[in-house]
Amino acid sequence: MQQLQYIKPKSLHEALQYLHEYAGQAKPYAGGTDLMVQLRAGERRLAETRYLIDINGLAELHGFAMKADGTISIGAATSHSAVSQSALLQEHAPFLCAAASSVGSPQIRNMGTVGGNLCNGSPAADTLSPFVALGAEIELHSLRGLRSVPAPDIYIGAGKVKLAPDELAVRIHFSSAAAYNTAFVKLGRRKALAISRMNVAAALLLEEGRIADARIAPGCVFPVPGRVPMAEKLLLGQTPCAHLFFECGKAVAEEMNARTGLRWSTPYKQPVAEALVQRALCAAAGIAEEE
Amino acid sequence: MVTFSLSFTLNSAPVHIAIEPNARLLDVLRDQLGLTGVKEGCGVGECGACTVIIDGETADSCLVLAASVAGKSVTTIEGLEQDGILHPLQQAVLDHHALQCGFCTPGFILSAKALLDKNPHPTRNEIKTAISGNLCRCTGYMQLIEAIEDVAGARQEG
Amino acid sequence: MPLYGKKQFNAINRSVPRIDGYDKVTGRARFAADLSMPDMVYGGVLRSGRSSAKVVHIDTSEALRLPGVLAVVTAADVEKPQSWASYMYITDRVRYVGDVVAWACAETPQQVREALAAIRVEYEELPAVYDMRAALEPGAPVVQEKYPDNIFKESVFHLRKGNVEKAFAEADFVIEREYETQYIEHAYIEPEAALAVQHAGSGEMTVYAAAQNPFFTRRYVADILGAPLNRVQILQQTLGGSFGGKEEGLGLLAARAAWLCRHVNRPVKMTFTREESFLESSKRHPFLLRYKAGIMKDGRIVAWEGTQIDNCGAYNNQTQFMNWRANAHSAGVYSIANVKTDTFGVFTNNVHGGAMRGYSSPQLLFAQEQFIDEIAEEIGLSEVEMRRINCLKTGNQHATGATLSHVTISEVMEHTLAETDYEKKRETYKKQTSSVKRRGIGMAICHRSCGFGAESPDASGAMLIANEDGSVLVHSGLAENGQGLKTAYAQIAAEALGVPYENVQSFGVDTHAIADCGMTVASRGTVMGAQSVRKAGLQLNAVMRQNAVELGFFADMRKIEQVNGLKPYSLDDFSVNSGEQLLLRDGVFYLPDYPAYTVPFNAVTGSGIWAGKQLSSYAWFVPEPCVQDHETGQGVIAPTFAYGCVVAEVEVDMRTGYVDVLHVTSSHDVGTAINPALIKGQIYGGIVMGQGFAVMEDVELHAGKVGNPNLDEYILPTAMDMPNMRVNVFECDDEKGTYGAKSVGEPATEAVGAAIANAVYSATGRRIRKNPAGLEQVLLGKKLSKG
Repeated sequence: MQQLQYIKPKSLHEALQYLHEYAGQAKPYAGGTDLMVQLRAGERRLAETRYLIDINGLAELHGFAMKADGTISIGAATSHSAVSQSALLQEHAPFLCAAASSVGSPQIRNMGTVGGNLCNGSPAADTLSPFVALGAEIELHSLRGLRSVPAPDIYIGAGKVKLAPDELAVRIHFSSAAAYNTAFVKLGRRKALAISRMNVAAALLLEEGRIADARIAPGCVFPVPGRVPMAEKLLLGQTPCAHLFFECGKAVAEEMNARTGLRWSTPYKQPVAEALVQRALCAAAGIAEEE
Repeated sequence: MVTFSLSFTLNSAPVHIAIEPNARLLDVLRDQLGLTGVKEGCGVGECGACTVIIDGETADSCLVLAASVAGKSVTTIEGLEQDGILHPLQQAVLDHHALQCGFCTPGFILSAKALLDKNPHPTRNEIKTAISGNLCRCTGYMQLIEAIEDVAGARQEG
Repeated sequence: MPLYGKKQFNAINRSVPRIDGYDKVTGRARFAADLSMPDMVYGGVLRSGRSSAKVVHIDTSEALRLPGVLAVVTAADVEKPQSWASYMYITDRVRYVGDVVAWACAETPQQVREALAAIRVEYEELPAVYDMRAALEPGAPVVQEKYPDNIFKESVFHLRKGNVEKAFAEADFVIEREYETQYIEHAYIEPEAALAVQHAGSGEMTVYAAAQNPFFTRRYVADILGAPLNRVQILQQTLGGSFGGKEEGLGLLAARAAWLCRHVNRPVKMTFTREESFLESSKRHPFLLRYKAGIMKDGRIVAWEGTQIDNCGAYNNQTQFMNWRANAHSAGVYSIANVKTDTFGVFTNNVHGGAMRGYSSPQLLFAQEQFIDEIAEEIGLSEVEMRRINCLKTGNQHATGATLSHVTISEVMEHTLAETDYEKKRETYKKQTSSVKRRGIGMAICHRSCGFGAESPDASGAMLIANEDGSVLVHSGLAENGQGLKTAYAQIAAEALGVPYENVQSFGVDTHAIADCGMTVASRGTVMGAQSVRKAGLQLNAVMRQNAVELGFFADMRKIEQVNGLKPYSLDDFSVNSGEQLLLRDGVFYLPDYPAYTVPFNAVTGSGIWAGKQLSSYAWFVPEPCVQDHETGQGVIAPTFAYGCVVAEVEVDMRTGYVDVLHVTSSHDVGTAINPALIKGQIYGGIVMGQGFAVMEDVELHAGKVGNPNLDEYILPTAMDMPNMRVNVFECDDEKGTYGAKSVGEPATEAVGAAIANAVYSATGRRIRKNPAGLEQVLLGKKLSKG
């Protein structure tokens, strides 16, 4: 591992000062579960890194809060374990809890953070899909000020994120999805320590038995994360049923082909994207996948 | 190289030590403090052989920057035996023949301890989940699960 | 044949605690990487990352100038770059990605890494071949000059029995299939490590090593140093799993450490990163398996033809042995009159194939046991009936010609089928219509020749030492690899000597302290290797009885009468003159007719030490020879066989191809269960290893490069993936092995993959002819890759 200095700032402001002063040479250290692996591998993206800024002690980056308007925020350095066990989130975003509890292993969930999951540029980040479905915004701080980036926009390609070297993700904000029925399904090659082959976060708002709003956020399906408006639209005003969701799954898979083009993996991903979208919607609606 | 002065609690005793700022907790424990019960199997947080407990939570010490445990409490396998008496989990692993080569054993025992400290009567599925970050190539996990259930007095389910 | 529990023994046949358990649960057990020495430095290697290339220029000057660097070594600096086998310690002709072009030695591991990074190498890329089929094409690039057609000629074996051509002509059905298996990593959790220390005065080299076979490792170290074997000492450290893997790669590592140690005159520690372990340790080698069977309408298989081709990789020292086994087991556990099979290895520019638990059998059974199911279905017979008709029975001739006794497969199979409700479930699952989740059940049966048999001599030696306090040391050249050998040997020594298990301690392997007993492989440790322990125990038992007599412990007849409640002088005509009159059991000497008077074992050792009595024994055991014809494979291949049956139940996600292994029942005839809890551990572990082989594990090679060289992408089953497991341990009265024990370590895993593959078919109607049953393979019938 390269020579590195360790800095533990006492305040958010101090952390931002370091990130500013050492811009390009400083990396925030939170859970370490991605960063330490990348450092061990000598990844090129960290070639210039000389300082690790330990942000674990900063109060602003921890915990859950809910405002009167129903907006919820999570500190970016909150661990996956804390997210998956949060009573508040179980009520307002249960599929986020499910996604957090599917990350890696207990050790990784204890260490790894939601901010890291969003900001490390992994296409298979499990919590990204529910955050996208929630319309989450990531609050980024720097000495230059504060800005907000919608969750899908943070990821711009494998290993690449829309985050300036002096910026720090501090909190993640989203509106309560308590009125929605949500589901997260993940396909991995094993049941723990699994990297998502694909995943889907789905949320349905049902009013008098009909779908009033639908959000579908597939993971590892599109080149960059995002919802699928044309597939969601198919559901509006309809009564939930397996066949409807099957059609919706097909629409998502078609959209995948439109966005990515035909690739070596398409013969597998197309039918499976269809299946997983249908499965997530059925799970959200509480109906069987098979009629 | 500038060294970092680290103070933390290790197996209930205070430790003050000068470390390199980029050192992994795994290396500090093994090479500087002689706690070789902490093992390195993969270096990327997959196998769990380097599992330690930090403030009650398990962590892969290969992914922990040693400097970041300042002020925290770290437990390794060496801290479990008290006055020559094995921890009940250690005894149960022996009684159930829940080990073979023994390389992964410390990590498993620590994952199980962290579970039982929080949830004294876990279900079999909760046990499986709790040890899912520890890979074992010898035992097939079965006797380990039975050993943990024995300590927990848990009933098998699901 | 009974399930475990009908035999009568004292120290064996019981689940005594492991001898090495306490050290292992407390973290005190010392593995090779845990050791350090005063003045110790570190070594590391530079790998080319190329599959076939020549080093045109190598510049180490910059690396040598770095702080802390003690040595940077290239092939030109090493007197003997090639090992005694084909593997290279260091080379300037790269044949696969694991090949090493330079070594560095420095004060710290970080300085070693920096030195390696500073070495400048210029390569000339050379032609390469990766696929077995392509390597066999005329004009294919040659991997090893010694083998111009890429066929590893020493690994060619044949089985010839009866007249297959005639039998095929007469058969009602002739069915052919082809199957292929993947590269599998051993994935022991402990990466390889060695610490070499040179004794200043004598120049003798000691290597503390994570070695599965210390004597095999010694061969490498002595070879690189040009030293006689008596100047090289290997001390096996607690071994963190091996399964056949810590052989060649570990030997090369230990040899390099020793060379550097002598070169810099300081103790040198070398360890593999996990990635290096993936690159330089051997793999379970892929097999291309073609079988053709001739079957009569009544289900009898009358002809069997097979071609078994395995991928050796770039170097090889194992395939000739593995293929002996593959050849001997090429017709499965079936009684077939006419057999013709050919087995051979092919060199390619890939990581090398080598020993891994099962030693060819998991691959062969994956094909053979699916083939049996396929045949049965095609001729309209149930797969169970097919096996009932054709499986070996006592008195049958094996495909190698030997007439078999104690064949237990039918009973093991019937018990397992009944217990799992196999036939009913199989029928029920045929009626499934779900397009989402379907269940399947599959079976496989297996047999395994116990020990080396005709593969190589199965001799071993053991030494027993009774100390003055009555404690006993058992010493063997076979090694504890995690399987429980020390515990089993202590039990066997205790049984034979006649002392309690608790009195016996097993000594680890020190190559200076015992004779080379061959390798701890082939599931031979207990079944054959322990025969010498038993023999030494029986010898020492006799010696100690004689000591008891000569030391006067049975001279006082009045005392013997009194303790036995006899009248004084009633034994006046009786005297004890010979140890043969005594028994030594459970730690006491006594006369069988007057058992109330006993003398404790430690009384005799305590006096014996001062009287100069022999308190030790050494025994060498050689089994009856197994003689086999090389051209036809006919003859006696093994003293006996272990038999097993596995039933697996799966649930397949029909929309994603995900195979969930729900339940595995595994039944094995172990002859005599020396330690039932250890046996169960072997079988549970074997099931999960077999599950990995069947559904998820696959070393991905792209032009020889390993795409998944760590445990994040090379995936093993976790505790959440393991199936529910049920284990049946059968015993029988076959006495060929030690106290009637049979092999279990390899049988435990060999049939699991086949049973799961058959279960996947039962669920989906899709045959997995190319392992593993991963997502894409199950859903699409093929793997997908970027290329």
